[in-house]
Amino acid sequence: MSKESSYGRKNLLISIVFAALIFFLSIKLDPYNQGQLAVALMMFIGILSIVLLTGASGQISLGQGALMAVGGFAAALSILNLGFSIWFAIIAAVLAALVAGLLLGIAAARLSGPYLAGTTLVIALAIPSLATRFDSVFAGDVGLNIDFGNPPGWLTSLMGEVGYEQWQLLATLPFAALALFFTANILSSRTGRSWRALRDHEIAASLAGVKISETKIFVFVISSGFAGLAGVLYGLRGIVGPSVYPISLSLMLLTGAVLGGIRSIIGALIGAILVVFLPDLIEWLMGFLSPSEQVANYLPAMISSLLLILTVVLNPGGIAAGLHHKKRRH
Amino acid sequence: MDIFLSAIFSGTSRGAIYALAALGLVLVWRGAGVVNFAQMGQAMFSTYIASTLIAHNYSYWIAFIVALISGGALGALVDLAVMRPLGRKRSSSFLDSPAMRSTVPVIASLGILGVLQAAAGIIWAAEERGFPTPVNSLGLVIGGKSMPFTAFDLFVMGIVFLTLAATTYFFKGTGMGLAMRASALNPEVARLSGIRIGFVRTLSWTISGVASSLAGLLVTPSANLSPNTLDLILIIGFTAAVVGGLDSLLGSVIGGFALGLLISFVNVYDAPEDIFLAILIVLLTVLIIRPQGILGSKGVRRV
Repeated sequence: MSKESSYGRKNLLISIVFAALIFFLSIKLDPYNQGQLAVALMMFIGILSIVLLTGASGQISLGQGALMAVGGFAAALSILNLGFSIWFAIIAAVLAALVAGLLLGIAAARLSGPYLAGTTLVIALAIPSLATRFDSVFAGDVGLNIDFGNPPGWLTSLMGEVGYEQWQLLATLPFAALALFFTANILSSRTGRSWRALRDHEIAASLAGVKISETKIFVFVISSGFAGLAGVLYGLRGIVGPSVYPISLSLMLLTGAVLGGIRSIIGALIGAILVVFLPDLIEWLMGFLSPSEQVANYLPAMISSLLLILTVVLNPGGIAAGLHHKKRRH
Repeated sequence: MDIFLSAIFSGTSRGAIYALAALGLVLVWRGAGVVNFAQMGQAMFSTYIASTLIAHNYSYWIAFIVALISGGALGALVDLAVMRPLGRKRSSSFLDSPAMRSTVPVIASLGILGVLQAAAGIIWAAEERGFPTPVNSLGLVIGGKSMPFTAFDLFVMGIVFLTLAATTYFFKGTGMGLAMRASALNPEVARLSGIRIGFVRTLSWTISGVASSLAGLLVTPSANLSPNTLDLILIIGFTAAVVGGLDSLLGSVIGGFALGLLISFVNVYDAPEDIFLAILIVLLTVLIIRPQGILGSKGVRRV
């Protein structure tokens, strides 16, 4: 017990330091990069959902984008139809995603490996298509407009002028820090150990008293909550619609998770920053070579896919595993 | 009644193509124990090669043969460059649990899909192109009455049954087929019996590559060719393979036709937007009620 509460204090400290670092970084950045960093934090929350699901418990999902869509739509509908403030809408979104995760988990607990991957891939395509099917509710391809609104008065009186991109970043930051704290606590607790036991050896885990099906469903529920949170924040950038949560979003989250290190929280942060800023970096580098338009369009996808293959084949633990490895040698 | 008949015929001819895609997935699953999510990306790539040849005034049949060869070569390349090195890492701490061993190749195949789609975009500018058929694709006229199916539909179905017969004979009737089944069932014992596992695996990737490039060649006349066109075929092919039982060749073909009919009926009597939902419902129903599929191997099977 005392050991776990000391972990909790350490995790709280790390989360506060994380929030402070991003906060000071946000002041130094220009509006474009503030917006990009906000997206990176949203991806960080989304990738944490994969760290919990795939990294910790060994279940794969190619449908995290669909759960993000559930969060986004729940928030948009509660803001536009019920007049919720964005903070209550975020809570509604997470609750909706938890319910969706429960349903998904009940179906998914029976599946593993390629079966689970294929099923979640179909889900990633089917859920957003519901938005066009019932377009009187979900506004179809046009999408529903929601946004972060204006920064509150106390913030502007405290910090002076706060631009819209900076407000996006500052509104996202507490949720990212909360997600970090929550994930770190789960992974270092008894719950996290039972998830890892499930991943490493199902039979041994069940002999040690881990309830297999219940635990798998529980992992899906928690992971979906994270995805829903990422989804509502992503939608609050301006629009919620099927084109905002395409299948490529799910694959981008998975790519980020694997590149950074699928079993590591730091890896999730590295991966999120990579997938968001890599296209900018490539574009900047391309500026010196002035390639044709088609090369410029497809090069980011090419490079991130190549990195994904190389990581899986050469260094499956991702960048974070490389960091830990070096640390251990000292 | 006419609508019903034409739904049946279009469903059967589309189903034949889904059957080929499912067959390709089953071949790699049986031979190497991997569900290849890059499969239709490979097919897209080889179809672009054929399309380029046709644009340079080569005949359809030369382009057809070249596409099949390049499809097979691409399958072999995927195995040699990615899957075999990945298999060698099975002793690493990251891949030491069954859950991760079945998950990591899926991630790798998604990476391959991304590379192929980006490469096609860079090489062929991602322009949508049409693709010709080798035979007439207007309704056949028999006894003065226009039929709801075309010569091309008959051609597609002929190819599917030919492929099914050839692969079934290969698995059941030849020594190499036996070696493939053995190495998928128990790699260690197969290796000890003198089977060259690596070669056998690469061979099944190659055959699957040929089968899926066939699917690509036959489906593109009715859908324009672009780097992403065949993604839908992968989803349907996967569902068809699961419906049939992921390790049964005949089952996957039956699954393909069943899915073809289902999608055709959803298209005609409901709305095209519901296709994904229908696929999802079929997939979940099969996985929950009969996880081994229609013809999958019996016995306790954890999916």
